Amino acid sequence: MTTRDLGYVALFAALIVALGIVPAIPLAAGVPITLQSLGVMLAGLILGPKRGALAALVVIALVALGLPVLAGGRGGLGVFAGPTTGYLVGWAVGAFVTGFAAMVFDVEGASSAKRIAGLAGAAILGGLVVVHGLGILWLALYSGLGFAKAGMVSIAFVPGDLIKAVIAGLVTFQVRRAYALERK
Amino acid sequence: MIAALGAAGTTPLHRLPAGAKLLGLALLATALFLIDRADVLAVAAGLGLLAARSTGRPFAALMRDLFGALMVIAAIGIVDLLMVDAATAAVIVPRLMALAAFAHAVTLTTTTAEFTETLERGLAPFERLGLVDAGRVALTLTLALRFVPLIVEEAHEIREAQAARGLSGSPLALVVPLVVRVLVRAEEVAQAIDARGFPPPRSAPRPTSLPSSRQPDPTGDRPSHDHP
Repeated sequence: MTTRDLGYVALFAALIVALGIVPAIPLAAGVPITLQSLGVMLAGLILGPKRGALAALVVIALVALGLPVLAGGRGGLGVFAGPTTGYLVGWAVGAFVTGFAAMVFDVEGASSAKRIAGLAGAAILGGLVVVHGLGILWLALYSGLGFAKAGMVSIAFVPGDLIKAVIAGLVTFQVRRAYALERK
Repeated sequence: MIAALGAAGTTPLHRLPAGAKLLGLALLATALFLIDRADVLAVAAGLGLLAARSTGRPFAALMRDLFGALMVIAAIGIVDLLMVDAATAAVIVPRLMALAAFAHAVTLTTTTAEFTETLERGLAPFERLGLVDAGRVALTLTLALRFVPLIVEEAHEIREAQAARGLSGSPLALVVPLVVRVLVRAEEVAQAIDARGFPPPRSAPRPTSLPSSRQPDPTGDRPSHDHP
């Protein structure tokens, strides 16, 4: 970790927290989305697996330190004692998988459409499949619901996260034209 | 800076060392998961509320703090009742309430400084193994917190500028410039840290050949150095 890596990790963690504070943007359908999980996808897509996961870990550490850094001002150890802990811990793993997948899917020299699709795919894999997978796993064990029913609860959030993954792909593509950064 | 949830105080829970509280909470959480008796768990939930109340925080304020958690717990209870059975709901609901209350009691009575100290102490063994640098971990956490208000402000600025140009409402129009600014600022912050030789070298003498972080950054066009 160079000092520059430390800077990227710290400021991306701050971005993830800030995106939970900035009022949600109402989408065309009128469904407002909070942008915090978008920040996690972006951390993986832009910084890469290691630094992306570290940025998510910093946010998780801030939650544990009793700071209200999650969307809606949630924070503190109570979050870890809650049924949504799987999703929160899933952020770190999800950012890592997103970053790793981005290194594989985002091929230098491919067409713009292909690159954006690859980035969105990476965000879906890490930010949606992994995060929801761990979230459902924890919720199932925690609530006594079992996997199938916990999965049904989680499905309500899938459409919003799909939209966020596509937005994350588009954002990353445009950001990388303005600011090239090697993923690691 | 963001105001922390915990504050200093003089109640018994406030006076208990942070490490002891965290260890106690971990043991309690494990015990709560192993207990399957609804009556015992209901008593635990009551004790949890008493513990949270013992911090001196008024009952109404506690209910506000825990409102979100209680709503989620209620929703899980209803789903358990409808889709599983009443016996499961009777075990799950008080267990979750007890956990939420005890965890909140620890959060309320422990300042961020105490948590950070405990974190650094917890990292010490890993530091001795050369796996982490607790000073740099603390710096990363502090930096992240310090920059949250600035990034929020920048987000508002970008939105205002774009509303003036009739571009409001698109997430892309907000997030793309915001992320670019964050990346540029991260680089500036790193340069400022390096220029000041921060964090200071650890008091224990470092092996001279060890740190791989002294290698030049292969991605960067300028050499990076931790300490001048």
